[in-house]
Amino acid sequence: MSQLLKAIKTILGIAVSKPMTFSFPPDMPLTELHRGRQLYKPDLCKGCKICSMVCPNNAILMVEREKSEENKTGLQPQIDFRKCCFCGLCVDNCPTGALSFTNFPILLTMKPETLNYTPEMLAIPPTLEHPEAPKIKNTVSWARSRSIWIINYMTGCCFIEAVPWVASSFDMERFGLIAVGSPRHADAMIVGGYVTPKTLKRIIRIYSLMPQPKWVISLGNCPMTGGTYWDSYNTIKDISKYIPVDIWIAGCPPRPEPIGVAVVHAIQAIQGGYIGKEEKTNTDAGKMKLPTYSILEADSGQAQMDFVFGSQHSASGNFNMSLTLDGETVVDATPNPGYLHRGFEKLMEYRTWLQNIMLVPRICVLDGASYELAYSGVSEKLAGIEVPLRGQYLRVIQAELSRIQSHQMNLGFGGAATGFDTNERIIWGDRDQVLLLLEELTGARIYHIFNTIGGVRRDIQPDFPTKTNQLISYLRKRLQIYDDLFFHNKTFIDRTQGLGVLTQETAIANDVTGPNLRATDVDFDIRTATPYEAYKDIGVKVVTASKGDAYHRFLCRRQEIEESLNIIERALDQLPSGPVCTTKTPEDKKITWRLKIPQGEAFHCIEAGRGELCFHAISTGENTPYRVKVRGPTFGTILVMFPKLLHGVKIADVPVVYWSLDQCPADHDR
Amino acid sequence: MSDEESELQSFLATLKSQFTVNNFKIQGNLLSLTTDSTTYVELATYLKEHDFARCLTVSATDWLDTNEFEIYYLVHHLKNNVYVKVAVSIPRNKPEITSLSTIWKSAAMHEREMWELFGITFVGNMMLKPLFLEDWTNLPPLRKDFNWRDYVAQEYYKTEEE
Repeated sequence: MSQLLKAIKTILGIAVSKPMTFSFPPDMPLTELHRGRQLYKPDLCKGCKICSMVCPNNAILMVEREKSEENKTGLQPQIDFRKCCFCGLCVDNCPTGALSFTNFPILLTMKPETLNYTPEMLAIPPTLEHPEAPKIKNTVSWARSRSIWIINYMTGCCFIEAVPWVASSFDMERFGLIAVGSPRHADAMIVGGYVTPKTLKRIIRIYSLMPQPKWVISLGNCPMTGGTYWDSYNTIKDISKYIPVDIWIAGCPPRPEPIGVAVVHAIQAIQGGYIGKEEKTNTDAGKMKLPTYSILEADSGQAQMDFVFGSQHSASGNFNMSLTLDGETVVDATPNPGYLHRGFEKLMEYRTWLQNIMLVPRICVLDGASYELAYSGVSEKLAGIEVPLRGQYLRVIQAELSRIQSHQMNLGFGGAATGFDTNERIIWGDRDQVLLLLEELTGARIYHIFNTIGGVRRDIQPDFPTKTNQLISYLRKRLQIYDDLFFHNKTFIDRTQGLGVLTQETAIANDVTGPNLRATDVDFDIRTATPYEAYKDIGVKVVTASKGDAYHRFLCRRQEIEESLNIIERALDQLPSGPVCTTKTPEDKKITWRLKIPQGEAFHCIEAGRGELCFHAISTGENTPYRVKVRGPTFGTILVMFPKLLHGVKIADVPVVYWSLDQCPADHDR
Repeated sequence: MSDEESELQSFLATLKSQFTVNNFKIQGNLLSLTTDSTTYVELATYLKEHDFARCLTVSATDWLDTNEFEIYYLVHHLKNNVYVKVAVSIPRNKPEITSLSTIWKSAAMHEREMWELFGITFVGNMMLKPLFLEDWTNLPPLRKDFNWRDYVAQEYYKTEEE
């Protein structure tokens, strides 16, 4: 009887509650202070060229204008949105306020050259314009436009903003879109961010396997111009040289809204008869030759067979494993990473200490805030800079919110890997609420670039504590629902308990950290072992679990979400007043984007969402680091431990073990 | 002084009596020191026997001025929460050093990365083959004398223009 009452209560609750899905066209669930397209005020510009010098992506070019009393050099900025990553260094450093941000995020086009904004275009405030809908050509084109299937290949970091479209928050199925695993069933491909030569070969192969008509949507700046990685030795700079692209969306990463707008444009064009650009692939340029694959023979009489898992697999991320199978059981596994290798450690040697903050969150898109925090920490240690207490508290709030969304992402992947798609949809839907709050706090959803050397870039808005407390009580209720659907669900328990068991000794010997280590009953968390920022005052209760199997790893993360909510609550309660950022070094020099850091070296370790993240930086007294070593949390876990854990596991459970370890290929590839 | 620091002080005193170590420095709970390439391995064995079970990383720095590679490993003692960093310099023209893969299992993958990105040979490591890069024929990319701007211009911007 009580069960029945509970069910009725749940249904009534759903009936009266606000839907989780945002409306579309977007009513812009944006904050006022989101960093969107810049606005330029010609009267204020004095042509000092600082914006073009400070831009880490070379997106700003100074072009000529009439000289005047204010503007003696006769120069003004032209911003190329094929390159701009909205980090905000230009706006921060503009001495007169001639450049400012609007909260407008939608920049998309079919001709990338039109994204190069002249000063005149920059001076006009942005508005959202839809092209006129063409007439429906015929029934076939209409039907085609209403069922675009998208190939599921998470190429780079921009894919993170395509993911909300799978969740209940943006819900792509209302447009007839669906993500499919096989290229032979796909109509459209999304190139989600930067493309390394290794990935490019697979993209070309997938593209050539798709049936006609086919469309390609390119997300972000990197496939257009190289974007943030314009000088990386391992990313290609213009994808249209290899395959034709129909729609380009600018941003780094673009928000989910422009993707929706792009899809609406695509639907209109397709129903009007647009069948995509002429099919062509270019495999001759440089070393882009396709690798050869051997085709499996089912009845070859061999007891064992080789099997490739990833990199294009619904549950693999952009990561590849060679498995040897005996029947359905894995007997051997070899990791083959590198699809996301951008050479961060090299790139950081050529950007100034401050510009690098804009670069580091991109190492791991799922938990970028931790990387900012660790990198700022190591630079401050070297320079001997003390962060004001309020700044430390805000950093903690940002890091914990980021940990929550990272764990939610992981629980969603756990749901997808075990076939519980409902979990994936609702947990990722809730994650969007956390991202909105992060945007309130920092000005961006994914790459916050909130930290700077000496503190954080801005203070909170007056209504931030209220909004946060609302979200905390909402998420506490939602955690009960995750329990009902997921952790108390017998099917899920049977599937994951006893799977991929890690013992304490093997976990330690193989450099497993974070929640994966704590799930083997090791009480080690850097936040309490070596407290950094304000964690000592706020206090952290370390979450552990005892069995070390897939279930307990997921459970550990679920409990950590709860603890993070408590931490944020305490931090807001105790939030001290005062400045959020210091502007002077101990030597009484002003902290600028060209700050020189004294000679020396430093280590700084923090507890990221995935575990222990260490930065080692060496300075020779210049304004750029001599060497930075990033020791990511998943390197040992995935490249060393994961293959060993797979021995004896059934092929269908490979994704479950994989996501129970909370994988981030971008983190170990760097 | 924190417990961890005093722990490290006494540990350093023991190390000094048994090994030739130089440039030792204690910062918080991290002890960093340099040594020579024979002691590098002996010290690793000693640390492993004394419960430094976690090897966080094996990494390298390219010092063009002195024509040397500095290689170091960072290990962690879980119970006492102290880190030890052991560094050694090897000549750039003969970049070879004994592998630690038999002492810490997780070191092998880090050494493989350093082999690929710096071109340092770790003698005894059975895994030395490309990790991240496919068909790479140029100088190892993280070396300071790898002319990355030329490479990027030639390999990507020019090739893509054609």
